[in-house]
Amino acid sequence: MTEQQTAEEMRPETIPDQGEGSVLESQKGFWRKIKSAVQIILTSKTATVGFLLVFFWVGVAVLAPALTPYTPTEQDWMHPNEGPSAKHILGTDELGRDLWTRIIYGARVVLVYLPVSEHVTIPGGTAIWSVFVALVVGSILGLISGYIGGWPDEIIMRLLDAMISIPVLLLYLLIVAALGASAVNVVIALAIMGIPGIARLVRSLTLDIRTRDYIKAAETRGESKLHIMFVEIMPNAKGPVIIDAMLRVGYAIFAMGTLGFLGMGIPPPSPDWGSMVAKGREFILQGHPWASLWPALAIATLVVGLNLMADGLREEMTRYQ
Amino acid sequence: MSQKHMHPGVFDLKSQLDTGKISRREFIRYAALLGVSVTAASQMAGLTWPGRAFAGSVKRGGSVKVSAPIERVTHPSQISWIAPSNQIRQVAEYLTYTDADNVTHPYLLKNWEASDDLLTWTLNLRQGVLFNNGDEFTSDDVVFTMNQWLDKDVGSSMLGLMKSYLDPTDIEKVGKYQVKLHLKRAEIAIPEHLFHYPALVMNSRTFEGDFIKQPHGTGPFTVEMFREGERCVLKARKDYWKKGVDGKSLPYLDSVQFINLGTELAPQIAALQSGDVDSMDMSDLPGPQAFKALKDNPEVKVMGIPTNSARVLRMRVDVKPWDDNRVRQAIKLCQHREKILGLAYYGEGLIGQDVHVSPMHPEYCEIDTPKYDPERARQLLKEAGYPDGLEVDLNVGSGWNEIVRYAEILKEDAKPAGLTVNIKTMPNSQYWEKWTEVGLGVTVWAHRPLGTMVLNLAYIADDEGKPVPWNETNWSDKEFGELLEQANGTLDIEKRRQIFCKLEKIQQDRGSIGIPFWINQWMICRKRVENLNAHPTMYMYFDDVWLKS
Repeated sequence: MTEQQTAEEMRPETIPDQGEGSVLESQKGFWRKIKSAVQIILTSKTATVGFLLVFFWVGVAVLAPALTPYTPTEQDWMHPNEGPSAKHILGTDELGRDLWTRIIYGARVVLVYLPVSEHVTIPGGTAIWSVFVALVVGSILGLISGYIGGWPDEIIMRLLDAMISIPVLLLYLLIVAALGASAVNVVIALAIMGIPGIARLVRSLTLDIRTRDYIKAAETRGESKLHIMFVEIMPNAKGPVIIDAMLRVGYAIFAMGTLGFLGMGIPPPSPDWGSMVAKGREFILQGHPWASLWPALAIATLVVGLNLMADGLREEMTRYQ
Repeated sequence: MSQKHMHPGVFDLKSQLDTGKISRREFIRYAALLGVSVTAASQMAGLTWPGRAFAGSVKRGGSVKVSAPIERVTHPSQISWIAPSNQIRQVAEYLTYTDADNVTHPYLLKNWEASDDLLTWTLNLRQGVLFNNGDEFTSDDVVFTMNQWLDKDVGSSMLGLMKSYLDPTDIEKVGKYQVKLHLKRAEIAIPEHLFHYPALVMNSRTFEGDFIKQPHGTGPFTVEMFREGERCVLKARKDYWKKGVDGKSLPYLDSVQFINLGTELAPQIAALQSGDVDSMDMSDLPGPQAFKALKDNPEVKVMGIPTNSARVLRMRVDVKPWDDNRVRQAIKLCQHREKILGLAYYGEGLIGQDVHVSPMHPEYCEIDTPKYDPERARQLLKEAGYPDGLEVDLNVGSGWNEIVRYAEILKEDAKPAGLTVNIKTMPNSQYWEKWTEVGLGVTVWAHRPLGTMVLNLAYIADDEGKPVPWNETNWSDKEFGELLEQANGTLDIEKRRQIFCKLEKIQQDRGSIGIPFWINQWMICRKRVENLNAHPTMYMYFDDVWLKS
């Protein structure tokens, strides 16, 4: 597969002067990459199980409006706290809202879109955005620290050490308490907390890669430091960074759940899984475990899925290397 | 009190009772306020006052364990919530006692007398009462305690309650057992104010600012151990002034232990079910959840009681858009009250009418309940200059589950009116930091036995025209203020109620609050605990509690 892929990548573009053909070609390239990524996943049982779990949640999140006749905030006030039935397959919560609907719309908030305000949303789920922001900032800091070294390295790393020394949950709570509870602020809190880990990972990868011959060659060619960091080092560090990011999406979902559970997550009535667990927990003692059980299972399966997928991928990639 | 000293208002009340204008309960409540003993008032009303227990039924000894937050208390006058007072109240006491039927009795007072114009109140102290360090309870202690309440540096909520009618110079020590209050304005609720939770009487000789260091009160228990966040152990004293039905000094119990089990309901319910604790301090717990979880448990007694406590949707009238009454009316019309009570509080309460006078208050004048009407709300918003709808932030403490549910229901039901409600959640402690500052929020208001008490606390301005400290909406209305002052000095219940009809109408038509429901509260204990009764204030009393053999 690797040989075939290399051969295809090396094949010259057939019609380089025609825009339409070029687009088609790049689309083909994209699907080829997806296909090969899926093939890597399917070679590992662990990754396959993880992939199926994640695929399920991404699927229901994307298709949520087509999978339910209700909206996540619609209240049927004559039927609160009901168990699963034909009308409500997972039952209803304390305000008579359909739990299946809230779960799958909750997955949308985690994985598909970020609610910036009541009326504005942007693509990319809250967990995805928080990891993406942490990845961008953490990678830049790690590259600078690892490649340039010296006093910038000292300053950046000591600041990040100081951040790591503060308990994570406490810092989440401090940030959200200071900024106020909203989806964007949850992204900011999770991103800030993700930066040190990513920066340290990228720094250690950079320290390794900078000793390679092709970096020496680039330096001899007189390439700028920016070029070397972002064109030479970063692409060669992407493998472990992607695996790490995948794990971090899992951590972010977990952290979102924790913040929601503590009443500091995305404000109601958003179908935030953590706050659904917290609210539903009141009714367990009254014999209605459903409102708490389903979102807890949702968090667990998605996080486990992401972890399995990342583990499987890591194993496979290590094997290829 | 002898018949010759009886306040003339009592005879008016009796005549109103005889002509059917007031009920027996109202007669007893108001006669008691004017200094007639409850027994005498009951007899005048043709009732006999039931005794609480028979000597044969009580048993002495034993210990009761209660799960409760153990918060550091230094100055009893500074207590700002009921939970800490539930521990200190077993050691120090009030001058009066308002029972579950809103009838106020003398307690550390022997009796009281009010002048005809309700401007001079004579407080006669019970004699022979000793503090637990052996000091005698005298008028010095009452004057000292009242001065603490009125001292701005102490920062007691009693100050907000009393400062409009009482200054330290208005307190006169007449003798060893008598104190006179010379009020600046007529006020009928003095005895009830003396039952406010920080109004615990301190020992003037020993109190130096930290009650736990010098825990000298007149109550039935002494402090054996007090560890913040852990445990508070109280031991019975032998020379308490109140006698049990067996003729010996109360309390019946040997000790009471308050144990901190955290703020979560589930472990406290588990501890109660397993018998590790006998009762729970419900003042900080979600009552309806506990009620629902325990009501069918054969080992547990769940006693409910309606209260005058509410979750108040409050709007700052000096902040846009709430300065426009049409916007205030619009959001109030978005309250589907039956739905809010049913879902937010499981139907365990009474419907409210956006006036801070509950159907349980004696002055309550029946008033129409506004209907859920989003169309009218939309129209009002249009008239107020918001034809395309309006977006507002609603601040709520995320720890009050019923308030979050109320906010979620309001948000959903306000959509058809074009009103977008963004719910801003924060920890309860953060809400309390800015409860008077936010434009729109939902505030917890505790039970108060008289309607005038809460209206005087929260809906008037002081002499300089500034809102009083607890006026969280900065709303004041000249006509409302004048009528309220009139009500404060009006004894005749029918006349008082007529004034309240006007007050309620003003508050409903142009006021700054929405009250969709009044809550029930519960006292929960194991069946072996006898005589621990539900009280709308959530106060716990252990002086005459005993354990079944």
